[in-house]
Amino acid sequence: MQQEVVLAMLAKEPSSGSRLRARLNDALGPLGEDVNDGQIYVTLSRLEKAGFIARQGTESPDAGRKVYGLTAAGQERVAEWLSEVAWPKPDLAEFHLKLVAAAQAGLADPIGIVDAQRRELIRRLWDVERAAMAEPNGSQAGLLLEGIVLRLQADLRWLEACERAWIDRRKQG
Amino acid sequence: MGTALLIFRLAARDVRHHAAQAILLVVAVAAATATLTMGITLSGVTSRSPYLTTRAATRGPDVVAYLTSAAQATTLAHASGVANYSGPFPVAAATIHFDGRQADVFAEGRSQKPAGVDQPLLTAGSWVRPGGVVIERTFADALGVSVGDRVAMNGRSYAVAGIAVTAAQSPYPNLCNGTLVAPTAAASKFSNACPAFFNIPFLSLGNGQYLASSDEVGQVWMTEPDAIGLTSPANRLTTYAVNLKLTNPDNAQAFAYDRFVHASGATSPVFSTWQGLAAEDGKLIQDGQGVLQPGAFLLALLAIASVAVLVGRRLSEYARRVGLLKAVGGTPGIVAATFLAENLMLAVFAAVVGLAAGWLAAPLITKPGAALIGAAGAPPLSFINVLQVIGLAIVVALAATLVPAIRASRGSTIAALNDVGRPPKRRGALVRISSRLPIPALFGLRLDARRPRRSLLSAANVAVTTAGIVTVIAFHAFADNKLAGAIALTGGGLSNPVVNRDEQMLTVVMVMLVTLAVLNALFTTWATVLDARRAAALMQALGARSRQISSGLVLAQELCALPGAIIGIPLGVLLYKVAVKHGSLPPVTWLVAAAIGVLVAMAALTIVPARIGARQPIVEVLSSETA
Amino acid sequence: MNENSSGAPIVRARGLRKEYGSGSGLVRAVDDVDLDVAQGEALAIMGPSGCGKSTLLHLLGGLDRPSAGEIWLEGRQIDKLSERGLAQFRRHDVGFVFQAFHLMDELTAQENVELPALLGGRSPREARRRARQLLDQVGLSDRAGYLPSALSGGQRQRVAIARALANDPQIVLADEPTGNLDSAATLEVLRLFDGLRTAGLTFIVVTHDERIAATANRMISMRDGVFVDEMRLTGGSKRNLANCAGLGG
Repeated sequence: MQQEVVLAMLAKEPSSGSRLRARLNDALGPLGEDVNDGQIYVTLSRLEKAGFIARQGTESPDAGRKVYGLTAAGQERVAEWLSEVAWPKPDLAEFHLKLVAAAQAGLADPIGIVDAQRRELIRRLWDVERAAMAEPNGSQAGLLLEGIVLRLQADLRWLEACERAWIDRRKQG
Repeated sequence: MGTALLIFRLAARDVRHHAAQAILLVVAVAAATATLTMGITLSGVTSRSPYLTTRAATRGPDVVAYLTSAAQATTLAHASGVANYSGPFPVAAATIHFDGRQADVFAEGRSQKPAGVDQPLLTAGSWVRPGGVVIERTFADALGVSVGDRVAMNGRSYAVAGIAVTAAQSPYPNLCNGTLVAPTAAASKFSNACPAFFNIPFLSLGNGQYLASSDEVGQVWMTEPDAIGLTSPANRLTTYAVNLKLTNPDNAQAFAYDRFVHASGATSPVFSTWQGLAAEDGKLIQDGQGVLQPGAFLLALLAIASVAVLVGRRLSEYARRVGLLKAVGGTPGIVAATFLAENLMLAVFAAVVGLAAGWLAAPLITKPGAALIGAAGAPPLSFINVLQVIGLAIVVALAATLVPAIRASRGSTIAALNDVGRPPKRRGALVRISSRLPIPALFGLRLDARRPRRSLLSAANVAVTTAGIVTVIAFHAFADNKLAGAIALTGGGLSNPVVNRDEQMLTVVMVMLVTLAVLNALFTTWATVLDARRAAALMQALGARSRQISSGLVLAQELCALPGAIIGIPLGVLLYKVAVKHGSLPPVTWLVAAAIGVLVAMAALTIVPARIGARQPIVEVLSSETA
Repeated sequence: MNENSSGAPIVRARGLRKEYGSGSGLVRAVDDVDLDVAQGEALAIMGPSGCGKSTLLHLLGGLDRPSAGEIWLEGRQIDKLSERGLAQFRRHDVGFVFQAFHLMDELTAQENVELPALLGGRSPREARRRARQLLDQVGLSDRAGYLPSALSGGQRQRVAIARALANDPQIVLADEPTGNLDSAATLEVLRLFDGLRTAGLTFIVVTHDERIAATANRMISMRDGVFVDEMRLTGGSKRNLANCAGLGG
């Protein structure tokens, strides 16, 4: 989980770890279950160390829990992050090189590798699609799930192209 | 110049591409124009009446009179105003037998030397001699005799010496046409039947009354002794004919009228004048016209209907072509011009074909009864006539294509390019009604409802066809009546040339009508089947059986045909009344039978295309059509 | 291959073949295919376009006749049925959903759905009632009186699905049911299919969209007229989800 995400979530109001957790669950839906409690607290302490957030005492209703809020540096960082346009990288190069290496070394049939990967992606797609169907219309989590599905579909398209290309390559000998 | 060439090339290529439809269009328009040409030709003939030619060649009389005594006849011949005369000739009544046929004749006794007035002109053989008779030409045709045959008259045998024409009577069978009867104060009237007081025995009904009309009497000439030889105590000689030439021929009406008015009783003379005879001759031809004009009208209607269906079928394909032309820069003008050019080219070509066909066929009709010489032959068509015929063809083409052409050229280009054909119409009420019906009826009714214009055209087609058939049936019945009903004589069985000729013409018209109607029906069915392909395939995919589909297609046609056939009956009656002003109608059952016959024929025509339409591979059809 | 303990397979094909053309132009759209589908199973057949999956579906649905091979549906052999028998079959036992929807443009949604019921011999009133019920089930009861031209792609496809269900078929065959739809509409249809599947309908869906396969519990890959691969959908593993989303570690 990106640090900036937690930082940005605190921009609305200072929150304790458990409040943050609840808000993340809302936004992520079923995917929220996979986010570890521990991850959140670790991230919070890292952010505190970096000086982006600070403890705000116990004035909040949930007394006894540590409540964190943004520092000035933290606010600056959030504003910066919001305007960045970096997009999460697709890591296709790794798989591509896997195929090349396998073919060159004769270790495995690249087409077999592609097929196995396709099956895995299909299974993942099924899982995500099932989750998406279970979401009510217009839920935020539903939107996220749609994005995941479309990405997976795009990857599957590419895998089909890989398969065709490697089959052609084999035919030409 | 370049644009015109482009238009011409596009149109020509398109015609080659759709040769079958082009041919049908040409056939339709040619049939209509041929009929019209024949009609026009006939009307041209009226003014060139052969009667006048015959009159000149036979020294035709101005007035013909029949009197009951030779003395009366001679007195009349010396009346003032008479320049020349021939007769009195005895006229005997006889019955002629030949080859199993019999008819009644007036046998006029003549001298072997030529007469000064009314010397019949021989068209075959020689003039009268003892034992040799001369028969009037139309009558000879009807009887079937030629020179050299032997005929029996009142039990005696005679040779046929010759065949001739005369201007003193109307040709068979209208012998008494042109005779003067029952004058009113205002004007004289000419009858088309022999007068009741004509003292001829075989016109007697035996109870003292005379038949008022007899058209089936033939004219025969023989020597005077022979004619008198035909009489007997039972069949006495009661009539003498005298032919008069007046100093002033135009006075003939007045001359005859004067004497007619002042005569009275059973011995009053019977007159006919040359004007009356000429008018009768003219009627002959007008009669024919009267038959042809409704025919041409019907054919024109059918032709328009055919062209409209042909054009309608091509509309969506045409729309795409329009879009293409416009997308590459063609103006709406060019686009409309291409479409019109193609159809007009074909129509004008068809008009020329029809003109030629009609002109060549015209002589068949303008030989008025063969009795008068100088049959019209093929009269030259005037320039105006040619324009009239071509004009009709252009009107037909325009009527069917102008509106779609303009609409297509004005519409949006992108809409035309994407055009998938006119969307089917929705008729909510019909859809609801159809869901209560069995599946074939459901399918058929919905098919008709989605293409209302084509359904209407189909109904119109059937209406016109039924009207044509009704007219012909009515005319046949009328003709049969004339033949059988008018004379209470046994035997007979001679054909009536005038009615024959009219029947022939009407039959020709009907054959053309029926051919065109059949083609039209086949084409409409084909168009319906094509249009229904997707719906049919879908219904079958949902579980309809192919027999339900084919029945539905047949029903779709019959549903349109039924109102058409019903309307066709009164329409046909109307046309018959126009053609035969005083004819009586045949029994209603016949007319209804005709309509039913048309419906059955429609069904028969539709069955094969319907079967084919219901057997198409479902998957192919569905995949090829868009949603 | 897979016979449920609950009985014989509801769809069974042996040596199925469909050929077009002849000689050097011979094309085998479906080449010697064997298939068993259990009752209540949802099968997705996937493959690139031109692989023969649509042809296979048409054969299974009785819309086309095989060049060779045998097909049994619900225990009855359908490849030898007469045209009449096939029509009967299409009416009562199989519901077909086309990719191009193939709705009648001049009928409302309700009238479109009524049509198979009328063909099946139901009275007009009953057909109407059934149509209303089905439109309700697919969530279109407020659009019953609309013409197809007034409906969106997803709505039209739902009407087509409702129509396929009109005569209570045991088997639903769907050919690229989401092929013409956008993402949101696809989700609508997926939900619908899932609901039908849990209600016990047997489904065979042909598609090149993996998403639709998510409603299936078995997927067969097809290429050049033959089956090349098969997968069964096991239970979901949510661990993977987070990874896909980039939420891992």
